[in-house]
Amino acid sequence: MEFHKPRTWPEALAIKAEHPDATPIAGGTDVMVELNFDVHRPDVLIDLTEIAELREWFTVDGRYRVGSGVPYARIIDELGATLPGLAMASRTVGSPQIRNRGTVGGNLGAASPAGDAHPPLLAAGAEIEVASVRGTRLIPADEFYTGVKRNAMEPDELIAAFHISPADGPQQFAKIGTRNAMVIAVCSFGLALHPSTRTVGTGVGSAAPTPRRAADAEAFIAGELDWDSPLPLRDSVKRRFGELVAQSASPIDDVRGTAGYRQHALSVMARRTLGWAWDEYRRNR
Amino acid sequence: MTSTAEPEVGRARLRKEDARLITGRTRWTDNMVLPGMLHMALLRSPMAHARITKIDTTAAREMPGVIAVVTGQDLAEEQGSLPCAWPITEDMKAPDAPAMAVEQVNFAGEAVAAVIARSKAEADDALESIDIDYDELPVVLDMAAAIADGADLVHENLGTNRCATWVYDSAEAGSGGAIDDAIAGAEVVVERTYRQQRLIPAFMEPRSMLVDPTGDQITMWSATQIPHILRWMTAAVTGVPESKIRVIAPDVGGGFGGKLQVTPEEIITFLMAKRLGKPVKYTESRSESLASAHHGRDQIQKLTLAADRDGTLRGLKVELLADMGAYLRLVSPGVPILGAFMFNAIYKMDAYKFVCTNVFTNKTPTDAYRGAGRPEATFGIERMMDELAAELSMDPMELRRKNWITHDEFPFTTVAGLTYDSGDYESATDKAMETFGYDALRAEQQERRDRNDAIQLGIGISTYTEMCGLAPSRVLGALRYAAGGWEHAAIRMLPTGKVELVTGTSPHGQGHETAWSQIVADQLGVPFEDVEVLHGDTQSSVRGMDSYGSRSLAVGGTAIVLAAQRVLAKARKVAAHMMECAEDDVDFTPGTFSVKGTDRGVALADVVVHAHVAHDLPDGVEATLDSDATFDPENFSFPHGTHLCAAEVDTETGRVRLRSYVCVDDVGKAVNPMIVEGQVHGGIAQGVAQALFEEAVHDESGTLTTGTLADYLVPSAADLPSFDTSRTETPATTNPLGVKGVGEAGTIASTPAVVNAIVDALRHRGVNDVEMPCTPMRVWSAIQAGGAR
Ligand SMILES: Cc1cc2nc3c(=O)[nH]c(=O)nc-3n(C[C@H](O)[C@H](O)[C@H](O)COP(=O)(O)OP(=O)(O)OC[C@H]3O[C@@H](n4cnc5c(N)ncnc54)[C@H](O)[C@@H]3O)c2cc1C
Repeated sequence: MEFHKPRTWPEALAIKAEHPDATPIAGGTDVMVELNFDVHRPDVLIDLTEIAELREWFTVDGRYRVGSGVPYARIIDELGATLPGLAMASRTVGSPQIRNRGTVGGNLGAASPAGDAHPPLLAAGAEIEVASVRGTRLIPADEFYTGVKRNAMEPDELIAAFHISPADGPQQFAKIGTRNAMVIAVCSFGLALHPSTRTVGTGVGSAAPTPRRAADAEAFIAGELDWDSPLPLRDSVKRRFGELVAQSASPIDDVRGTAGYRQHALSVMARRTLGWAWDEYRRNR
Repeated sequence: MTSTAEPEVGRARLRKEDARLITGRTRWTDNMVLPGMLHMALLRSPMAHARITKIDTTAAREMPGVIAVVTGQDLAEEQGSLPCAWPITEDMKAPDAPAMAVEQVNFAGEAVAAVIARSKAEADDALESIDIDYDELPVVLDMAAAIADGADLVHENLGTNRCATWVYDSAEAGSGGAIDDAIAGAEVVVERTYRQQRLIPAFMEPRSMLVDPTGDQITMWSATQIPHILRWMTAAVTGVPESKIRVIAPDVGGGFGGKLQVTPEEIITFLMAKRLGKPVKYTESRSESLASAHHGRDQIQKLTLAADRDGTLRGLKVELLADMGAYLRLVSPGVPILGAFMFNAIYKMDAYKFVCTNVFTNKTPTDAYRGAGRPEATFGIERMMDELAAELSMDPMELRRKNWITHDEFPFTTVAGLTYDSGDYESATDKAMETFGYDALRAEQQERRDRNDAIQLGIGISTYTEMCGLAPSRVLGALRYAAGGWEHAAIRMLPTGKVELVTGTSPHGQGHETAWSQIVADQLGVPFEDVEVLHGDTQSSVRGMDSYGSRSLAVGGTAIVLAAQRVLAKARKVAAHMMECAEDDVDFTPGTFSVKGTDRGVALADVVVHAHVAHDLPDGVEATLDSDATFDPENFSFPHGTHLCAAEVDTETGRVRLRSYVCVDDVGKAVNPMIVEGQVHGGIAQGVAQALFEEAVHDESGTLTTGTLADYLVPSAADLPSFDTSRTETPATTNPLGVKGVGEAGTIASTPAVVNAIVDALRHRGVNDVEMPCTPMRVWSAIQAGGAR
């Protein structure tokens, strides 16, 4: 096995261009598990942990650019107030050890339908910045996930960062698991209210081949919310929203849950998170 | 030496062994390195049932660092058959149990070949070069199907998957009436079937062993609970004389019954070290451990409880299927039988019948797991009491009060034929109910029901007892168990005033070093710090029956008291001689002998030296005060208690949140209340784990799909509420310390408390059972099936 430890981003991109099959490794919390269980035997590993800029975040034109190598623990500590949805999801990832090592970049690289970062990224309308020796491009989150554990990257590309706006309204994240810590989601749901655009963003996890938005639910609820004189939401509206979110999913039966349960649980989570977020919006006006 | 003012027994001392255990700076087996040591790796069958048609090890032998590659065929002559010490019936079917599969594999994870290499990595790498072909056989997984006519067979030569059927009938035994009469004459009969899912003991330290053949004796270090039994059985299996084997259990990181075993791995490592003449080490990976170390529970329980309308119990019928897995390990067949005497629990009834059929399947063998038989029984009866209460529209605690043995009825001989020596169920229950706030919680429950809240509240009760302190050798013999149940202790009074206590018990996390020191300190009047506890090495601890079944204190602790009394009896003779008085005139207050009615005295320390140098001993007195003793109690001990659990159930998602958990346990005299509390906490956690989280799942090919700790859901602190634990102390009457045992109580009590709470929360929605583990999806499905109103 060849092992590369580039010190700079251009160096990393050059190696990836030369070895398109190479496996990048960030926190290693997915990669090392697969190596240990002998699921993969990559010929080339590229260790990205020496590249300082991947561990940085800053704002550009009011939007955050968060390096792909920023671990969950720092997202919670440093960005918890501005990216509350992502921070809520980050708090549910693994254990303290995993949150110290694991990164959103790695979650995106793995592109597991159960990855906890995806629903809040979808709900907030994030974009993924990928780069290669050929240049850099931004991929909207809802175009990034292309299949089970597959994403829209070309073989020679690496994830540099994700771009995300600070929350302009309340955000929520809910996850059903079989245990409180160290558990893979049975299904999960992210929600973001965007008062500035009068829209609602959603992200559904673990309930389809890819994480995805519930577009019908978003359209429906945008039409129902009165942002200027917000009244408590009627039960029937919340329920309808829940149903539409559930309908957007195409879950399967597996060891962690049946499709029927997943769909039902999604509708409950969607209904509840909408209620919580809307109440918060009304309180804070 | 001065006596401490406060007695040691009863003090909540920090454990003296913890610093080294917690930091890991201690002798874990895998830490040990010997000169020239080789490493072993095992190839395990991915098939649950198959004939081995070809094994080619040529390529593996040529891999770097490889010293030897062996298959079951190579070991067939020497490996014998792994022992089963508990043939529960005369006609029990027992398959041959080779340490390494020879022609056929019977569960996924069974060892089929071993590589010995210079490093662990080289051994692991070479495994992949072993070429092996299997011819698949039909897989037997379901117990009921396994004993149906025409079923595929796990062991063709046995002609059946039925291992044995064991019966206890109170009418035949003379301990009660006939069950059929009781059921026929009862006004109410409740029938339920419960599933005890398969569990994995999941001890923290994986199994690890190192065998050194250097010298006259072969030394085996093993992370085992049972060094003495392991030595005996290794001799029996391999034919190496027992006197040529030394077994050492150094510090051992947990067991929960999972290391109460003579494992294939130990025998293979032993044989390879002997064959190669070099030390060989084997340490399993976590996934190997989950798939191959023995599993626990796995029963189908059909229960019939008969009662009068006023709640008076008439009789209980228990029909069990118990999954043995593919082979019988050390005590596999006896585990369900340990429950036979416990289904009737703390209740009086006229008749009782227990029928258990042990079944072979193509799964990992089952054997003892924390509680071994008693958690299954306690779950069964405590769930049934709640079901009966619901049927009668009675408060579940009222129903229990009506039927339990009252404190003035002890000693009480039960319908299952055991005599409970002592107990006070009323006091423990009253105390628990008060702390719990039972009435307020019932009011809140009603209020949530009335407003049809999404979150419903349930109250779960478990008023348990258990039998522990395994023990009475006569009883074990009558149950056809091959070994005795006594325990041994030796006290060495060193001339420097320090004391060595050698125990035959084998701690693996319980804190014996601390508790045993406390007992010795009180008995002899020596400082706690001066007592050194030695254990786990068959060369120093020459006799013992090891640790399991909550026996160490009730049996082993008593042996310490007896040995101390012998030390003092000898010392008294020497002291009388030194003080020139008659033995009858000698008084002993801890640490000092004196002549009655005078101020003449001599310290125990001086008597120790006097006896040790032996310059001037009275005639007939042997040098040194060292003494030993064995103890074999006449009866088991019977801890009991009341556990109460309040659970919130989210009826929309099925998620269960434990809101509060209160328990009052009566484990007799607490030698160290802090250790007792620790045992209760860990025990409850493990019982809650069965109720809510853990299950060993196999797919239709017989592959374990919960083979990592990401899938086999051991709970963490984040999944558990804060436990409110306290005690009542009703001393056991069957040992001088008045102790009962606490190692398993929490696990035995808590599982039904939690499930009862969940069912109680949903009873009004037509739910009367949720299968364990009660995952959100299972709870939600039960609500759907209940026809939610
Ligand atoms: C015990 C445990 C618990 C876990 N719990 C959770 C959980 O609760 N929720 C959850 O979502 N996940 C969980 N995970 C999975 C994992 O921690 C997350 O997916 C994490 O985000 C991965 O980040 P990482 O930096 O460790 O990625 P790595 O393992 O380093 O990489 C993951 C993937 O991304 C690729 N990759 C990494 N960096 C880049 C890059 N810059 N460009 C392109 N590709 C890249 C890698 O090649 C690999 O395919 C858990 C893992 C473990 C071991």
